[in-house]
Amino acid sequence: MMERPLRNATLLRMGLRASLLQATWNYERQQGLGWAFALAPAIERLYADPAERRDRLAEHTAYFNTQPTLASLALGAVAGLEERRAAGGGVDHEAVARVKVILGSSLAAIGDRLFWFTLRPFSACLGVLVALGGSWLGAPLMWVCYNLFHIGLRLFGVGWGFRAGPTVLNPQVRRRFNRLVGSLAVAGAALVGVVVAVLLVPGGQPATLVFQALLAAGLSLGLIAAQRARPSPTEWALGTGLLCVIATWFR
Amino acid sequence: MNLGLLATVLLGGLAALDAAPVAQTLFSQPLVTATLLGWVWGEWKVALETGVVLQILAASTLPVGARTPEDYASGGVVGIGVALALASQQPFQMAREASVLIGVLVGLLTAVGGVRLLKWQRRSHESLSRWCEAEIRRGDESALARAHRAAILLAFAVGMAYCAVCLAVGLWAGSGLVAHESLRLSRAWAMARPLWLGLGLAQLLSAFIQRRLSRAAVFGFALIGAWLVLMVGMP
Repeated sequence: MMERPLRNATLLRMGLRASLLQATWNYERQQGLGWAFALAPAIERLYADPAERRDRLAEHTAYFNTQPTLASLALGAVAGLEERRAAGGGVDHEAVARVKVILGSSLAAIGDRLFWFTLRPFSACLGVLVALGGSWLGAPLMWVCYNLFHIGLRLFGVGWGFRAGPTVLNPQVRRRFNRLVGSLAVAGAALVGVVVAVLLVPGGQPATLVFQALLAAGLSLGLIAAQRARPSPTEWALGTGLLCVIATWFR
Repeated sequence: MNLGLLATVLLGGLAALDAAPVAQTLFSQPLVTATLLGWVWGEWKVALETGVVLQILAASTLPVGARTPEDYASGGVVGIGVALALASQQPFQMAREASVLIGVLVGLLTAVGGVRLLKWQRRSHESLSRWCEAEIRRGDESALARAHRAAILLAFAVGMAYCAVCLAVGLWAGSGLVAHESLRLSRAWAMARPLWLGLGLAQLLSAFIQRRLSRAAVFGFALIGAWLVLMVGMP
């Protein structure tokens, strides 16, 4: 079997560089420059001719955007395509661009749900639950819980995408991701329930009635606020905080 | 105290890097920065109280698509730093609660104000990106690495400077209030804390439940179960 030009060391360098995918994020090309920077180790290895290498790099600075962690899968898949292109395997610029667009949007759809809507809030809840007991271990727990997925996928996702190619996001993988999102969401809902209970009964003693009533008011207000994009939760929090200060001033 | 403030400003720069330009590992989240600052200042209770409220609110802020989210990296560091610096001058519990309230409010204001700075950085990257492509086409392949170095340096410098300014303003405005109005502010904290926690937890709950009745039932069962265990004890 013929040895492939891109080795594990190159893929690992790409995975490490993927950490800087968002460093030059802008409204024009979004992650375009970061994408080219992460792909550069593969391009350098595949194209010996400097002019051809420059053209490939410049092509890859074009618009690209996806969920930053799962971008590693797209990076690996596109590196595999570039390998075939460099070997004259009938892959052209349009084919690479098409795969980037399709993988970018599909990975964003799954990644946003997995990382931003589920894993990050879940890790935060876990950390807060421990921190509410006065322990400093909440922060390390939150960090480890999130980064088991985040750093793992970022570093090893490139190899996964490289081996699987443009079909990396096949129906079976989608199903697995969806199942993971569902399980985390159920566990997250239970975790929020436990956090609320801990707030209501701190240290085994029930909180004051005023505290319980205000917590219930905050939960109700939050559920109403969650139905609208504006004002944002931060603006709601600022408003209620200032209202509390004003209320105590004129009491 | 000066060492604590210096460490807070430095942490502001590092948090600004982790928030978007480098790695995005949640190092910049308020609970993590609260733990680090609590260790630096030797005051866990104030740091964690401020950090927990800011963390719950930060967790419901989503950086999806091209939306520029509130800057909780700077907001967390500044809010916790202000609370710790103010509390370090106050011996009484009431004044410490007032410090935490001021800390959270300054943190929220910093997070909202940081959006403009983030947008400005993103716009400045547009010309960096155009310059980089032109340099690559001209034959300079190192332009990619140089552009990234410049962007990272800019994010670190802006993060540190923004934290330093907000910390200074927060301390200047907060020290007088905490010293003279600690009773009122302490009462306001007793009202605002449960409201903030409820508001943030509701956002998280809404993200988890996604209008599914079965997940809402899981929340209800977990709440009642944990409440019973905490009230009555384990069977």
